[in-house]
Amino acid sequence: MRGESPLRPDQRRKLSEPPVIVRVENVVKDFRPGLGLRTKRVLHGISFGVREGEIFGFVGPNGAGKTTTLKILMGLIHPTQGRAEILGHDVRETRFRRHIGFLPENPYFYEFLTGREFLRFYGRLAGLARAECAERGAMLLEWVHLTHAADARLATYSKGMLQRIGIAQALIHDPKVVFLDEPMSGLDPIGRKEIRDLILRLRGEGKTVFMNTHILSDVELLCDRVAIIVKGEIRHEGSSESFLADGEHQSDVVFANLPAELVARFEEEFGLHSAGRGERVELRVPDKRVAEVLQAALSLGAEVVSLTPHRVSLETFFLSAVANPGDS
Amino acid sequence: MAAGTLTAIAGNTVREALRNRVLYTLVFFAVLLIGSGVLLATLSYVERERILQDVGLEAIRFFGATIAIFVGVGLIHKEVERRTVYTILSKPVSRGEFILGKYAGLVATVWLQVTVMATAFAAVVLLAGVSLSFAHLAALLLTALELALLVAVATFFSAFTTPMLAACFTLGSYMLGHLSRDLREIGAASDSAAVERATAALSWILPDLDSFNLTIQAVHGLPIAVHELAVPALYGVGYAGLLLLAAVFLFERRDLR
Repeated sequence: MRGESPLRPDQRRKLSEPPVIVRVENVVKDFRPGLGLRTKRVLHGISFGVREGEIFGFVGPNGAGKTTTLKILMGLIHPTQGRAEILGHDVRETRFRRHIGFLPENPYFYEFLTGREFLRFYGRLAGLARAECAERGAMLLEWVHLTHAADARLATYSKGMLQRIGIAQALIHDPKVVFLDEPMSGLDPIGRKEIRDLILRLRGEGKTVFMNTHILSDVELLCDRVAIIVKGEIRHEGSSESFLADGEHQSDVVFANLPAELVARFEEEFGLHSAGRGERVELRVPDKRVAEVLQAALSLGAEVVSLTPHRVSLETFFLSAVANPGDS
Repeated sequence: MAAGTLTAIAGNTVREALRNRVLYTLVFFAVLLIGSGVLLATLSYVERERILQDVGLEAIRFFGATIAIFVGVGLIHKEVERRTVYTILSKPVSRGEFILGKYAGLVATVWLQVTVMATAFAAVVLLAGVSLSFAHLAALLLTALELALLVAVATFFSAFTTPMLAACFTLGSYMLGHLSRDLREIGAASDSAAVERATAALSWILPDLDSFNLTIQAVHGLPIAVHELAVPALYGVGYAGLLLLAAVFLFERRDLR
């Protein structure tokens, strides 16, 4: 019929999704520590994708392979097998890096340079003309609140200032994709808020942000999609909402004066957080059974102290993914 | 290869060197030694002018080599160790451009210091009443080329080893490079064909640094033929070029952990 799309709903949904601009396919990385007689596999054929315009969180415990993956994307490390692409270019190419920016973890910059010289240097490396370097440098210094320190040497900068000037160098050439490795590392709460605001501003400008982190609260606050990596394997990849929506909805119920027979029955069915005759008893009950539990307790004279919905946090999901390889 | 990128990296390397107080100390002592040639020259009435020029030119070569080796051996390693190379290579900068830019920057730094020392040498020599000739200029030009070759040796080793090992190898190359002709002669005088072949091979592999030494011609006012400048220059450019190609090849294959 005229006007109707020939596509199925799932096909229409796929078309409306932003394109994947960072693609990692079956990447394996082996290192040869020491004399090179042994091989240590750090990445076991990982695959994931980052969509245009999103903030993507790459999460994992220390030693999971986050930084190794990021270094492969930056061309600093060569994959043993597999392929990684950014904006359709193999990561081993050079010229497309005009469109990406990178802030490494705990960066060390040339301390002998002033803030202004530092940004000018990186602007020149990115292929900007001198005038453009100066103009964008001044704009970014203001953006990251470092105009007052533009002519001071980086040796005098605090940790937070170095992170901000580091983000500025990552943005000097107005890249489409920005890669941040533990951007909140070592910052105080004010510094972390400033960096979070900067990251949100980047998304507001249509940039794609790839963020390596192990701070789950930042992931919950900032990220549209998340991948969890543990021991060199991707355990889960999806939207932040999908993590929180997964699994059964439950509620925490606290009773007082719960009769002993009910205590025993509920302990067997749901497990107890604390128990004792005449004391408060706390249960975690599936939402669909809350009404039944409340009716049983109230009918035997128990009192309901509190009823609180329990939602799986990313931390809970993360800990589960780390602990249970086949179940996330 | 982008000229702007090379210039930016080279310029940054020069800026770092100029803001490094250690290099000023080395240049100061070099100038001091050149000036002390006046004192040494008083030890001999007959050879006074020759001693003055000898000490001056050798001081330039020695201190130039010291700077070339001890800054050069950490040139690449320091950038990897401190992770400054991460943000550089995340830009549209190839590893080859990075190596060549660092090399060019250090050569420019060494040549800047040679210029300062040469100026001091010229002042001391002229004040002593000695005339400067084209031979002095030629000697200084070839010294500059020798140091550029030495920086290439240091850059090569720095691309894949630690500063300690790179220093040992570079220093070894420098010392043996001044003995390569003697090695060949010793081998030729040997009764063993194997020794002769081994020493000949070694003398070909090692840089022939003595070919850059025109001190005797400069001090004795001897004429310098064109080929005495051209051949070492071509040799130095070719040898340094091969070393840099090898450095780029090795650095490109390295995982920067």
